[in-house]
Amino acid sequence: MARPAFRNVDRPEEGGPRLVHLDRDRRLVEEAQADPARFEALYRKYLAQVYSYAFYELRDHHEAEDATERTFLAALTNLVRFEERARPADGEGASTFRVWLFQIARNAVAERRRTLRRRPEAPLEAAGSVAGAVDIERDAARKDEVAAAWSAVGRLPDDRRRALILRFVDEMSTAEIAGVLGRSEGAVRVLIHRALRSVQRDLDDPSR
Amino acid sequence: MTGATPGRDGHEVEALVTDRYLEALLAAHARGADRGPTPRDPDDALRRTADRLARDLPRFHPSFVFEEALAARLGSVASRMRMPAAAGAEGLIVPLPVGDPGDGPGGSGRRPLLIGGALTSAALSLAGAAYVAWRLNRPAAGPMVRAARAVARTRPV
Repeated sequence: MARPAFRNVDRPEEGGPRLVHLDRDRRLVEEAQADPARFEALYRKYLAQVYSYAFYELRDHHEAEDATERTFLAALTNLVRFEERARPADGEGASTFRVWLFQIARNAVAERRRTLRRRPEAPLEAAGSVAGAVDIERDAARKDEVAAAWSAVGRLPDDRRRALILRFVDEMSTAEIAGVLGRSEGAVRVLIHRALRSVQRDLDDPSR
Repeated sequence: MTGATPGRDGHEVEALVTDRYLEALLAAHARGADRGPTPRDPDDALRRTADRLARDLPRFHPSFVFEEALAARLGSVASRMRMPAAAGAEGLIVPLPVGDPGDGPGGSGRRPLLIGGALTSAALSLAGAAYVAWRLNRPAAGPMVRAARAVARTRPV
């Protein structure tokens, strides 16, 4: 994990200079804003995270690729308008660029889902296949566990699933998830807690 | 972050405890170690579920082909984005006389001509500006132009 970055800022109204937490992607973002060709570093860094998020949401590799492509194209073309807004409360390693990028991803995924709902011949449930996800697992028991976790998460209501994926798969802080979902940190904590309870009941249910 | 705060309902307090546990759990996973100590853990069932999700939820990576194709596309978009920084490519409006420059400054009406912009390169923009300047200083002498001028002269103003 990247080290957090700090800088001194003069805040006379707060009794002089103090340390302010900076976006850990600040250097990469500034370089890309100065020269769009340097955006590739940010793209390589976050590709898998954005793609994972899209795949958990859409449950189809092609749809996830489409949403990922839209996300990065939108991020590149709008990067000049991005402003860093990291706060100390965002915690170690908080990245406002990452929050901004995932806000774009969330919109791209939502648009794909709307399109898929309008096309009943390609329903989300049918598109999702856990087989591809667990084929890499050789151990059959382990494969079952992964498949069960995947299915349980897939059965969660949208907002709970989204929060859980951002927490466990993308390993975001509560503050970052709150930024992505446009909710308060308290609301995100409750969402995740309830999501865990739902998954726990699901996994403990012998009929599943 | 603090523990239970008076006034919060039970769900929020439980959620806060779970959140603190997840912080330690995911940080430990990132270090490749067992979970770190937490001041107050959630109940066993919830902890087991969190441990299991941290271990079992797969991460996905797109295909190498997709990754490289998108990288190439982003590179192409990036290079087009760099062009506006070049002189003239941001769009240059040049007043162009409707009539032939040789008709003199009293030519009827003028309309703007956009040279450059997102779809043209800086080189094209400069070439366009040079062409306009050249045309302003050089009367056209083609037979069609001469015929059109002759017709125009015969018409009443």
